[in-house]
Amino acid sequence: MLGRRGADVPTAHEAARHVLRARGVAKRIDEAVLLLPTDVELGPAQCVVLRGPNGSGKTTLLRILAGTMPPSEGEATLDGVPVDERHDLTRTAIAALIGAPATYRDLTLADHLVLIDSTWGHVVQRADDRADEILELLEIDHLAERFPHELSSGQQQLFHLSMVLVRPSSILILDEPEQRLDTDKRELLIRILLDRRAEGTSLLIACHDPAMTEVLADTVVDIAPA
Amino acid sequence: MTGADRRQLRRVRSAILGNRPDNSLSSTLYPVYVAVIAAGAYGVPTAQQLFRSLDEKWLAEHAWTPTGAMVAVMLAALLLTLVWLTGRVHGPVVPPLPYLELVVASPMPRRVTLARNWRLSLGGTAVGGLLFGAVGGAGLAIANVTAPIVLVPAALGGLLLGVLVAEFWLWGQLRGGLLGELSGGPQTSPPRSQRGLSFLGRRQNALALLDITSLRRQAASNVTMGGAVLAGDLRMVRLDAVRPTTRARRVRLRTGGPRVVIASRDLLGLRRAPGSALFGLAFTAAGSAGLMLSLQSPQTPTVAPLVSLVVCHLGFGAWCEGLRLHADNHGTSRLLGLPYRDTALAHLVVPVSAWSLTAIVVAAGLFLADLATPTALVWALAVGALLAGTHLLAAFRGLPPVGVFGPHAGVPAMIFWYAKPLVATLVVGTGTAAWAVRAATPWTAFSWLVVATAGVVAWGLSLVDKRDRRS
Repeated sequence: MLGRRGADVPTAHEAARHVLRARGVAKRIDEAVLLLPTDVELGPAQCVVLRGPNGSGKTTLLRILAGTMPPSEGEATLDGVPVDERHDLTRTAIAALIGAPATYRDLTLADHLVLIDSTWGHVVQRADDRADEILELLEIDHLAERFPHELSSGQQQLFHLSMVLVRPSSILILDEPEQRLDTDKRELLIRILLDRRAEGTSLLIACHDPAMTEVLADTVVDIAPA
Repeated sequence: MTGADRRQLRRVRSAILGNRPDNSLSSTLYPVYVAVIAAGAYGVPTAQQLFRSLDEKWLAEHAWTPTGAMVAVMLAALLLTLVWLTGRVHGPVVPPLPYLELVVASPMPRRVTLARNWRLSLGGTAVGGLLFGAVGGAGLAIANVTAPIVLVPAALGGLLLGVLVAEFWLWGQLRGGLLGELSGGPQTSPPRSQRGLSFLGRRQNALALLDITSLRRQAASNVTMGGAVLAGDLRMVRLDAVRPTTRARRVRLRTGGPRVVIASRDLLGLRRAPGSALFGLAFTAAGSAGLMLSLQSPQTPTVAPLVSLVVCHLGFGAWCEGLRLHADNHGTSRLLGLPYRDTALAHLVVPVSAWSLTAIVVAAGLFLADLATPTALVWALAVGALLAGTHLLAAFRGLPPVGVFGPHAGVPAMIFWYAKPLVATLVVGTGTAAWAVRAATPWTAFSWLVVATAGVVAWGLSLVDKRDRRS
């Protein structure tokens, strides 16, 4: 992962072409069934959208495929290897936004992006520029000097998206990225995600927005209620 | 308060109580009764034992000198400053939320509706101050540091200090109203000109100047913090107690390699929280000086390195906010390119470097004044590693185990769980320091300090790895 030091472009342009797969993946905690056995396959530059009612296990499936939660049954693999967030391969390939990500309350938005960019070992001289570019891309560049606690809920969501988009990845896993965004910002997000897919990034998204699903999805997986 | 005000408030209280009896007087007096018993049974013996262990002859010679008086005034000023700062976050006049919404928000005069809460706080600090003074005076007299007559001025001084504490606490709360404006709340606080020392001359008006927004925020915060303390969730307590940062927003984080940028992050965090940076500097300088001085003579009471290490632990902790924030974030989506353990270690770079620099400067001063030897500096640097380990323990301890809440565990188990990192610092640091000054050569004790420190650091890292495990 840190062997990528010196690479200048942060995202999917240079991404390897990974395959993320879930075979009969299920999650149980004692008697509680969080996810029934489910199959998903995400190939290079594909977009898979997960649909299902609240509580059906979409977020659980995303956590398993992001390697932050082991399945109770079945197997989740990245290029045939069990997916585990602690492994370099997984963390290099997958960037996930599942729930609110970690933020430092004493850093501004721009600081967060510089920090994330720098820890991925890019050319440090360009970290400031890359931070500005991502903020501009999401149309929140005017908020660069604000602290996270000074944002509205919609601005928070855009900031969280910027933190995921700034780090290198070839697979983006997003849990309801459209939530709390107004219509314009949803359209902006769709354009950004389409661009990412065109550049070779694979997208795995849990989504409740039919319009977004219609535009983005190559495959729709309906999750049965647990 | 006029007669009409009293009647109206009585009606409100009877409406709140309904058919239940009014036990407010007995529930107010009971804690006072318990405090008096505890002060007599435990406070006085502890105080006299403390004065004896501090060397009563030395105390008798120095207590009534101008230097002694200056130290007492400085300690009182420090206490009042801390109380004032506390008041900005949690003041003395914070009624429960329902009372706030239904009574304080009504057209009734605020100096009437809030009077009872203020009287309780004022009475509590006054009684506390009186008991503190009386216990201290009795301890001094029994330890033969001074004549028994000291009990009277000590008790009166304590009472005065208690009243001052209440006043400064209320003053801090009044100033804390500004927080509501900063966080985007409506501007209901009084204008700046009405706050500050000027209100002390208009005591009657002080309660009327408290705005509903800050009262509501503090009441909600009391509920949150109370629950968090009971659940052992120190993270929630910390986040709720500390004001959000707004300083130096135009200063950008410096880019660098993965570990360098994390250290830069911590430096920037301290720049945006100068109070923590200065607190850390003052406490580590004082603590490391005390520790190095206590290593110079076998006559030094064991309490000297113990107190010094408590001060060191607090000072070092003030520089560890980056480490704590990293620990707070476990379980959320990972965004940084460094592994979890490496990130934790990178967050120790700033506090360990700052500790080492401070210890070197303090040691140089003591060496030039012929008060300490270079050995003391080596010792202090090793204690820096120990503090790094115990702060790993503190940051990554997580929530208390279920057993702490069991019927047979109780409050002592919870306190021990909270204090475990500090206890580790004190046991290892004090034990080896006491051994070193009494042995012919300090190096055997030093090697045990190194071994124990390595054990504490390994324990801390095992907790980091535990937090890193997947659910």
